[in-house]
Amino acid sequence: MGPYRLQRFPSAAPGIALLARLGAIVLALLISALVLALTGAKPGALALQVVTASFGSQFGLEDLGLLVTPLIFTGLSVALALKIGAWNIGAEGQFYAGAFAASAVGLFLPVAEPLSLFLMLLAGLVGGALWILIPTLARAYAEVNELITTLLMNFVAVLGVYYVSTGPWRAKGANSTTARIPAEIPEFFGSLHWGLPAAVLLALLLALALARSRFGYEVRLAGSNPQAALYAGLPARRRLIAVMLAAGALAGLGGMVEVAGTVHRLQGGLSNSYGYLGIMVAVLARGSLVGVVFSAALMAFILNAGIILQTQGLTTSTVLAVTGLILFLTAIGDELAHYRLVRDARA
Amino acid sequence: MIDLRTLSRRGFLNMGALGAASMMLPAGVTRPALAAAPLAPVKEEEAVVAFSHVGPISDEGWTWAHHQGVLAVQEAYPKLKKVLEVENVPYSADATRTFRQFVSEGASVVFDTSSKGDFLYEVVKRSPEVAFLECDGHTVEGNLGWYYIAHWYPTYVLGVAAGHLSKSGRLGYVASFPVPSVFCSTNAFLMGARSVNPKATLQTIVINSWFDPQAAAQAGTALIDNGCDFLFGIMDEAAYLQVAEKRGVWAAMWNTDIRRYGPSAYVSSIIIDFRKFYVDQVGKRLAGTWAPGEFILPLGGGVDRDAWGEKVPKEVAAAADAVRDKILGGWSPFAGEIKDASGAVRLAAGQTMSEKDLYDWDWSIEGISGLNA
Repeated sequence: MGPYRLQRFPSAAPGIALLARLGAIVLALLISALVLALTGAKPGALALQVVTASFGSQFGLEDLGLLVTPLIFTGLSVALALKIGAWNIGAEGQFYAGAFAASAVGLFLPVAEPLSLFLMLLAGLVGGALWILIPTLARAYAEVNELITTLLMNFVAVLGVYYVSTGPWRAKGANSTTARIPAEIPEFFGSLHWGLPAAVLLALLLALALARSRFGYEVRLAGSNPQAALYAGLPARRRLIAVMLAAGALAGLGGMVEVAGTVHRLQGGLSNSYGYLGIMVAVLARGSLVGVVFSAALMAFILNAGIILQTQGLTTSTVLAVTGLILFLTAIGDELAHYRLVRDARA
Repeated sequence: MIDLRTLSRRGFLNMGALGAASMMLPAGVTRPALAAAPLAPVKEEEAVVAFSHVGPISDEGWTWAHHQGVLAVQEAYPKLKKVLEVENVPYSADATRTFRQFVSEGASVVFDTSSKGDFLYEVVKRSPEVAFLECDGHTVEGNLGWYYIAHWYPTYVLGVAAGHLSKSGRLGYVASFPVPSVFCSTNAFLMGARSVNPKATLQTIVINSWFDPQAAAQAGTALIDNGCDFLFGIMDEAAYLQVAEKRGVWAAMWNTDIRRYGPSAYVSSIIIDFRKFYVDQVGKRLAGTWAPGEFILPLGGGVDRDAWGEKVPKEVAAAADAVRDKILGGWSPFAGEIKDASGAVRLAAGQTMSEKDLYDWDWSIEGISGLNA
C-alpha cells in the first residue's frame, strides 16, 4: 500500500462532477465511433450530420424543444418525489392519466378557448395526482413500497387510454385515436409551443420554493433523515402525501401539455415512454430540480440524435446501444466523482 | 374527377386493365389528380426517396413486403442520390421527428407505410415541395395522397376456404386494433365462410399491436381452447401459425408466404406487393408528373391470395378459386342484405358496398364477437 488511497466522499466537488460527466460522454462517443468505424460507417460524417441536423435548422431546434418539454415534466415529477425519499416509477401512468383527464375536458366540455385550456390544465393536474393517490396513501399509512405500486399503475393507465381511444372515444375514420381536441397551446416558433418555457419556468419556481420555504426545508429534512424529522416533530406523513401528490400532478401536467401542445389527440402511443425516461432524467440531474432542465435537454438531444442516425441507415438497436452506453458511463462517472485521492493516515 | 362513392367494382377493374395496358397509370388509381400546381421534376442523381416503416424489415410480414418495394425502386432508379429507410417508427410525436428529418435530408418523395395521420400531416403542411404518400391514409392535399390494397377480395376467398375446412364452424381471429382494416378483414372473412357454412361464427381477440409474437401466440392458444379450428388474423409475423401447427388446426396469414413456420396448418395468405406502385410513383415524381391521388391496388394488381397450402384439399382450393375468378370477372360479394353484430340491417338487399365503403368499414357484421365495445 502506498501513502495514498481512494476515499469516497458523500458529496462530489462540483468541478470534478462536471468533469466526470463530460469525460463519460466523450468516452461513450469515442467508443461508439470506434465500433461504428469497425462496422464500416463514417463516424465523423455521422457526428457532423447529428450536430447540423439538431442545431443547424429550424426543424431540428423545434424537434429538440418538443422532445425536451415532456421530459422536463416527468423528470421534475420523479426528482420532486425523490426529495422526500419516494421513488415515483409511475410518471408514465400519471402522464397518461393527466392526458386522459385533459382530453376528456377538451373533447366533451363545450367551453371556448382560453378557458378550455385552463380547465384542461386543471384536469391534467388532478388526473395525475389521482393516479398516484392510492400508492401515496398505501405508502403513508401502510408502508407499502411505492416503487412497485406506482409501476403497476402504469399498465392500468396505458391500457385504459388504449381502450378509450380505440373504443368509445375513437373518431370516425381515424385509426386508433380520438377526434382532434380543439383547444391548442399556442405556438411561438414553428410547431414549438409555450409548453417549453412553462416547463422551464416551473422547474425554476419549484427549485426556488423548495430551497427558500419552510415547507421545502421540512421536505428535504424528512427526505434525507426521516428519523430526525420525526424527532423534530415535523408532520412527515403529511409532507410525504403532499409531495407525492404534487409529483403525480406534475407528470399529469406533462400529459396535458403533450396532448394540448404537440399531439392534439388522445391515443395509445402518446407518451413515447416519457415517464420512464423521466426516471433517467431525474437520476442524471442528481436531485437538482434545475438540473432536470439540463439533463432533460441532454436526453432529448440523445433521443433526437437517435432518430437522425436512423435516417442515416443505422438500425434501432445500434442507436439504443449508443444511448445506453452514454447513460451507463455517465452513471459510472457520477459515482467516480465522489472519490478523491487522499493521503493515507496510516502510512 | 371520379367520385369514389359512385365508382363500382367493375369500373375499378376497367381502370386497372387500362393502367396495365398503357403502363402509365398504376392499377387501381381511383382519383388521379387534384388541381394543384405539379411539383417540379427532379434529376435522378439529385433525388432522395424516403420510407418510414412501422416494424422491422426482418419481420417477414408487412414491413418486409414494403421493403421489397424499396428494393424495386433502387433497382429501377439505381442513380438515386439517397434512399432513406427508417424501421420501427412508433405512432407518436417521434414519427413527426422522423418525417421532419426526411425533409431536412432533402427528400423529394416520402412514403409512410403505416398511416401516421396527424403526425405526418404536421410535416406535409410545412413542406409543400415534397410529395407524401400515406399507406392506409384518409387525406388528399396538394402534396399528399394515400394508397392501400383491396385486401377484402382475397380475404373473402380465404373465408370460402375456411368455410369448407372448419369442422366446428368456429373461426378465430387475432386482431391488432379495432380499426377499419380489421373490421373489413374480419367481416370479409366471415362473409366468405358463411357463403359455405351459414352457421359459421368468428371470435376475435385484440392484442393492441401489429407485431407482438408472444401476445399473438397467447391469443391463438386461447381461440383454439375456445373451440376454434381455423385461425386468421392481421399480424406482421407468424406466431399464431406456429401455434396452429402445434395444435393441429388450420391457419391463414397476412402479407407474405410464411408457410415454413407451419407447413401443415398453412392454408394461404393475403399477399401484398407494392413494388410496381412504388416504382411508378417515384418515376412520376422524378418526371414532374406526380399528382396526389387515392389509390386502392386491386385483386391481382398488388394484393392476392398465396399459393394454397400443401394440406388444403384440391376441391377446397378449386371452390375458393372459382370465387376468386368470379371477383376478377367483376362480381362483388359485398352486397346486401348485411346485418351488423346487433342484428340491425345496415345494407339493404340489392345494394352493393363501394370500394370506399369497404375501406372505411367500421362495424362488425352479425356473427363476429370481440371487436365491438
